[in-house]
Parts: sequence; structure tokens; C-alpha cells
Amino acid sequence: MNLPKPKLSRAPAFPLVWVVPLIAVAIVGWMGFSELHDRGPEITIDFADGSGVEAGKTVLEYLGVSAGAVVSVELKPGLAGVAVRLRLKKRAAALANSGARFWIVHPEIGFSGVHGLDTLVTGVHLNVLPGGGPPARRFKGLDKPPVPDVVDEGRAFVLQSDRLGSLTTGAPVFYREFKVGEVEVSRLSDDSKAVLIRIHVDAPYVNLVRTNSRFWNAGGFSLKVSLFGGAQLRNTSLESLVAGGVAFATPDRGPLAPAAPDGGRFILAPEPGSDWIKWSPNIPIVAPEAAERPAPKGGILNELIK
Amino acid sequence: MNFRLAPRGPSTAAALALAAAAMLVPANVLPVLTTESSGGVRSDTIFSGAIELWREGMWPLAVIVCTASILIPLLKLAGLAWLLLGARPGSSAKSRRMTRIYAALDFIGRWSMLDVFLAAFLTGLVRFGEFSTVTPRAGIVAFAAAVVLTVLATRAFDPRTLWPAAALSPP
Repeated sequence: MNLPKPKLSRAPAFPLVWVVPLIAVAIVGWMGFSELHDRGPEITIDFADGSGVEAGKTVLEYLGVSAGAVVSVELKPGLAGVAVRLRLKKRAAALANSGARFWIVHPEIGFSGVHGLDTLVTGVHLNVLPGGGPPARRFKGLDKPPVPDVVDEGRAFVLQSDRLGSLTTGAPVFYREFKVGEVEVSRLSDDSKAVLIRIHVDAPYVNLVRTNSRFWNAGGFSLKVSLFGGAQLRNTSLESLVAGGVAFATPDRGPLAPAAPDGGRFILAPEPGSDWIKWSPNIPIVAPEAAERPAPKGGILNELIK
Repeated sequence: MNFRLAPRGPSTAAALALAAAAMLVPANVLPVLTTESSGGVRSDTIFSGAIELWREGMWPLAVIVCTASILIPLLKLAGLAWLLLGARPGSSAKSRRMTRIYAALDFIGRWSMLDVFLAAFLTGLVRFGEFSTVTPRAGIVAFAAAVVLTVLATRAFDPRTLWPAAALSPP
């Protein structure tokens, strides 16, 4: 018998297996840390109506990107509305500053075109305009989207009309079917005999509005059918067909009237006069497209951008 | 093949069991799956997933998930811990009972990957791009690690330590 000699070794004082739980604990710690690290603050928003908001499903979007998710939706004590608790992402923590305005985005047709159509499929989401104040934990939600902030140096004008038509906030203002502004807000006049509509015309186009400009409601379309004239369809653009809108023109006979001042008042006609559309005065403007982009040399693009 | 002459100390099994216990924490606290569908995005932990199944009326499935993914891993570790710490071989009836527990632990080990299987299955199957996506999250990795470590710990445990030393001496 020639047996190999047994190899004897002492049991190590610290068995190598104990590295395994150490690694495990380290991994667990790291997992916990990274999970907590990605979390932003939790905020509560009070809404008068929470239709469509669901815990775990509804997200807060900012600039079209998810900035947090709804944790819970509860009725407030005394049935005084709905409290939506929201967990923000770490990077979106700055949205939890006082002055931030939150609202629920529902699918809408009529506000300057079609808005939030994706919410038809995905359910509603929340949207936010950040505020500049100190961090806060509780907010009051808006019932409807806020009036867009005026970001440029345009001018506001007030139109007076017999009826509102379909002119809601955000409806476009057209010049030659080119959008130059938006409807800001509308209200009944103090004597309730007219509707006052405030519009905003963007900065590069303010000179187009002269003191003698005429405004008309460009919303919808009219169809005139006569035996000999055939059918005549009048509409401005698909956008205004859906959302309504305001158009204006300035007479081109005689000397050009002075530019209308900020806050100038105009009558809003239900339809354009027969020759208004043909008016084409020469008013110099600086179109933003031309100012920002150097014109390419030659080619058809040149004609378009110029 | 696995037959060893000298009983291995409980150290290996204990180390692996401890690692498994640590991994069970994130496995149950962190989300295991993120489901993106037309209804939005939701992340579920094992428990919240079971609750959701229950609420949707799928009680049997909820019970299976709860049992297979929460109860059994916990009971397995608890059993192993008891064998490692508390169990001192006494009477041969006690040794027999403990050996039976060990055999049971060894047997159920292979069935506790249900969740991991489900996650892998769903992730591969539910990929409809815009409409619906299922993404595995950190929790499922921790869960899989916990299950594997428990199985290894059970394997590393030497059932002969459950018997009086006399039984180990060669005949």
C-alpha cells in the first residue's frame, strides 16, 4: 500500500466565506443609498377636483419630462377638495418652491388647437410652472391651465365683441393667416353689454396693429350656397377652424395710421368686411426668423426666409 | 461525490445565511418590477404586487406570490438559523426531526425562484415599445441573490452536525 500523505492545514482564523456577507451588506447599503439618493422631496397639492388622478400612475411633467409621481390621492377632511401627494425626483426638487403653479392636464380641444391629446390614451398628468420662492411642501393647485406668462415685449389690445364666439385663452391671432399673437383672457364688460377680449401680439408684429386696423372673428367657417353662385366656403385655417381665432387687417389707402398703443381698444366684427382681406399696406417688421438666421446664399430657401 | 469525511464547521453556512438575510431586506423593500403601460408607470415591490393582485381579484395568485416570495424565503432562513444556532444534538429523535427539517429546507430551495422567473418571463414577453414595457429593477436582483445564497447556505450546512458525535466515528 502506497497511500499519498494527507495534507494537513490549520483552519484559518478568518474563513474566507465571511467575505460574502460583508460584500452583501456593502451591496445592500449601496442599494439603499442610491434609492434614497434619487428621491426628491414629497409635496402635497390641493385641488378642487381630482378627476383622473391616480396614485402610482399619474406623473408630474415639466418641459414634457417626468419630474415626479403621485403617491396618493385623498379627499380632504370635510370633503373640501382633494389632496394629491407627490414624490418629486431628486433633480426636480426645485419645482417644490413656493409660487409654483400646478394644474391637471386633461385632453382639450379648443385651447389654441388641440392640447393634451396624449392624455386621452395615457390618462391625465400634472403640469407645473415653477415658482421662485423658498422651498415649500404644500401647494394650491389651479383649476385650469394658467394664463401663459408674457415672455416678450409684445403689446396687449382689448377687443370688444357682442359675443365671445369660441375665443378662449390661447386662441391664435392671425395676420394674413399667419399667427402673430394669442388671446390672453376674456370677460364680460362692466355693463354686461359686451365681451371684452384681451389679446397679446408678439413683439416683432406689434407694428402691424395700427389705430385704424379692423379685427374680426376668424373662428369656424361659413358655407354659402346659392343656386347660381355655387357653394362658397370661407375659413381661415385648420387651426382656427378647430380652436377659433382672431384676424385683423389694416387699410392700405391713404397714409398709414400710427401704430396702436398698448391697451388700445378695437371692435371685433363677427365677419370680415368684403375688402378687408384684400388690404395689404406696406408695414416694415423685423421677423424673428430673419433676424436669427443668416440667409443662405441663393436658392428657394432664401426667398422664403427673406 | 459530495461526501466529506470531516464535518465542515458551521462557519460557511452561517456566513452565507447572513449574506442571504442581508439581501432579503432590499429584495422586499425595493421595487422588483417597473411596468410602463398606457395607464402610466408603476413600480412594484413584491408585497405591493401581491396586494395589487389581491385587489384585482386574483386571490389564489396573490396567496402564491406571498407564500413563495415572502413567507418561504423568510421561513427558510429562520429554519437555517435555528439549525445553525439553537440546535444541539440531543436525543436521536430530536436529531431525526432536525434532519427532516433540513431535508425540507433543501427541497424547497429550488422552488423559490418563482418571482425571478416571472420577472424574466415578463421582461422578455412584454415589450410593446410605446404601449407597454416591463423593466426589472434592483429588488429582483437582490431577491435572486438572497435565494441563491440561501440555497448555497443550505448546501454548505452539514447535516451530520445534527447528530451526536458518536455517529461520526467510523464503524
